Amino acid sequence: MPEYEAVIGLETHIQLNTKSKIFCACSTDSWRAPPNTHICPICTGLPGVLPSLNRRVVEKALIMAAAMNVGEIAPESYLARKNYFYPDLPKGYQISQYDEPLAGNGSFEFPMPDGNLRRISIIKLHIEEDAGKTVYKNSKRLIDFNRCGVPLVEMVTGPDFRSAEEVGQFLIRLRQLLRWLEISDADMERGQLRCDANVSIRERGQQRLNTKTEIKNVNSIANVRDAVQSEIQRQVREVEAGRKIESWTLGWDDDRGALSKMRSKETEADYRYFREPDLLPIQTSSEDWAATVSQLPELPLARRSRFSADYGIPDYDAGVLTEERSLSEFFEAAVAAHGGDPKRVSNWVMNDVLRLIREQDTSAGELGLRPDELAEIIRLVERGTISNSVGKELLTQVQGSDRTPSQIVEEDGLAQVTDFGELSAAAAQILEANPDQVAAYRGGKSGLIGWFVGQMMQESGGQADPKSARKILEQLLEG
Amino acid sequence: MALTHEEVRAIAHLARLQLTDEEVERFAGQLSDVLDYAARLNEVDTSEISPTASVLPMNAPLRPDEVRPCPPRDQLLANAPDPAGGMFRVPRVLELEP
Ligand SMILES: [Zn+2]
Repeated sequence: MPEYEAVIGLETHIQLNTKSKIFCACSTDSWRAPPNTHICPICTGLPGVLPSLNRRVVEKALIMAAAMNVGEIAPESYLARKNYFYPDLPKGYQISQYDEPLAGNGSFEFPMPDGNLRRISIIKLHIEEDAGKTVYKNSKRLIDFNRCGVPLVEMVTGPDFRSAEEVGQFLIRLRQLLRWLEISDADMERGQLRCDANVSIRERGQQRLNTKTEIKNVNSIANVRDAVQSEIQRQVREVEAGRKIESWTLGWDDDRGALSKMRSKETEADYRYFREPDLLPIQTSSEDWAATVSQLPELPLARRSRFSADYGIPDYDAGVLTEERSLSEFFEAAVAAHGGDPKRVSNWVMNDVLRLIREQDTSAGELGLRPDELAEIIRLVERGTISNSVGKELLTQVQGSDRTPSQIVEEDGLAQVTDFGELSAAAAQILEANPDQVAAYRGGKSGLIGWFVGQMMQESGGQADPKSARKILEQLLEG
Repeated sequence: MALTHEEVRAIAHLARLQLTDEEVERFAGQLSDVLDYAARLNEVDTSEISPTASVLPMNAPLRPDEVRPCPPRDQLLANAPDPAGGMFRVPRVLELEP
C-alpha cells in the first residue's frame, strides 16, 4: 500500500465583535435574544433601503490582516453582491467581497505540541455579512433574522495542512489570537468561529491536487479534527479499493459523531457576482495601514519566546502564561513589581492565580487581584513573614479588599510564629497529649516526625513556621 | 452576441423564472439585442483609462459603531405573508430538507 498524505485547506468565518451590524445600527448581541428582535428594514432587505458600512468592521478586519502578516493592503477594495436564493437571505444576495478583497497574501505561524512551528499561507481575507437562521419546528420552516447582517471576516488558507492534528492546532491558535486582539469572541459553539475544510489525499511525494471533498457545519475544534481525520481515512479506503473520490459536500452530524453526504456539487453554483452599487469602495490609505500595523500588540507566539528568553523561564511556562493576553500582562507586571526570580512568580501565577481564575470563571484582568499585590504576597512568603499556605489564602483575601497584603497580615495576626518560646510550649503540649506516638518515635519510628509537625501546624492554624517547628520537636523528642 | 436557448434557460433557472418555449425564443432574441447594444462600448479604446466603479467621490462614508433601537417586531412582520411565533414562515426550498 503506497503512503498517502492529506492535503487540507480551510475556509474560516470569524464573527467580529462589533456592537452594531455591518450595514445597519441593529445590535449584534442576539445570543438568546427572542427571534427577530434585532432587525430593521436594512438587514431584512426591504425595498428602498441603503446599507452603510460600519467603520469598526473595516478597522477590525485590518487588524486581522496585520496579524496574518499581510504585507500590503489593497488601497481600494470593493464590496460585491453574491446572488443566490435562500430563505435566510432576505435580499436575494449577500454583500461580500469577490475579485478585490480587503487583503491577501498573508501567513499564520503557530506552534505544534512537539514545539515545532507550522506556517500556513492565507490566500485571502475579506468582510461580508452573515445570513439569518432557519429553525425547523413541527415541520414548519421559520426564519430568525437576528444574525442577518452580523459582520464576518472570511479567511481562506492555502492547501497547506497535512493532518487533522495541524487543523486542530491552527484553530486553537486562531481562537487564541482573535481573543488576544479583541476582534472576536471566537466561541465555536455560538457560531462566532466557523470552519469548512477541503480535504483530498495523494501519494506522498506527488505535487498535484486530487478531487477534494468539502466538510461543513462542524461546531467545535475537536469535531473538526475528528471529521477531517475520518474523511482522510475514508478517502484512503476508497482509493485502495480502486474507487474514485467524488467531490461531495459532507456535513457533520453531531449526534452520530460522523459525516454524511449533503448535496452533490455537480454544477458549481453560479453566484453572478458583481460590484455592489449601493456602496463605494473601501479605501485604505498607506498611513492607516501603517498605523494598524504599528499599533498591533505583541502577538502570543512572539511574547512566548520573549518570556522564555528574557525571564529565563521554561518554554512550557511561557506557553501557559501567554495562553491569554491579560494573564501574560499580569505575569509581566508581577515580575516587575517582585523584582526577584521570575520563575518563582511564574509558579505562583501558573498554580495559584490560574486556579483562582478557573474556579471563579474569570480572567486575570478581572480577577480583582493586582500583580503588585501578588508580588507583595510572594515577598512576604520569601521573607518568612507568613507561611506558604497563609500566602495562598491571602490571594483570595486580597481580592476586592482595599487593604494591602501586609496590612491584612498585620491586622489579622497572620504572621508566622517563629518565636522559640511560643513554639516550644506548643510542642511540649503535643508531646504530652500523644504519649503513644512519642513512645513509637523513640522506639525507632522516626518517620513520625512529619505527623508531629502536622499536629503543630493544625494547632497553630497554619501559622507555625514548619522548619522551626520541626527543629524544636526533634530536640524535644530526642531529649 | 447571440444567446442560445440553453443559456436563456440557465439564466431563467438562476432567477427562479419558469419560461415557456415561446418565451425562451422571444427572450433569446431580446437579450441578445441588449447585449449587442451594450457591446458597442467595446468600440471605445479604454486601454489608457482605469476602470470606474462610480462617478461619486470615491471615499466611502463609514458609520460609527453605535447601536440604535430596532423598530417593533410586529411592524417588521406585518408584511410577512405567514408569520408564526415572531418568525417568518417560509415554504420548503430544498428536497433534502427535513
Ligand atoms: Zn438592521
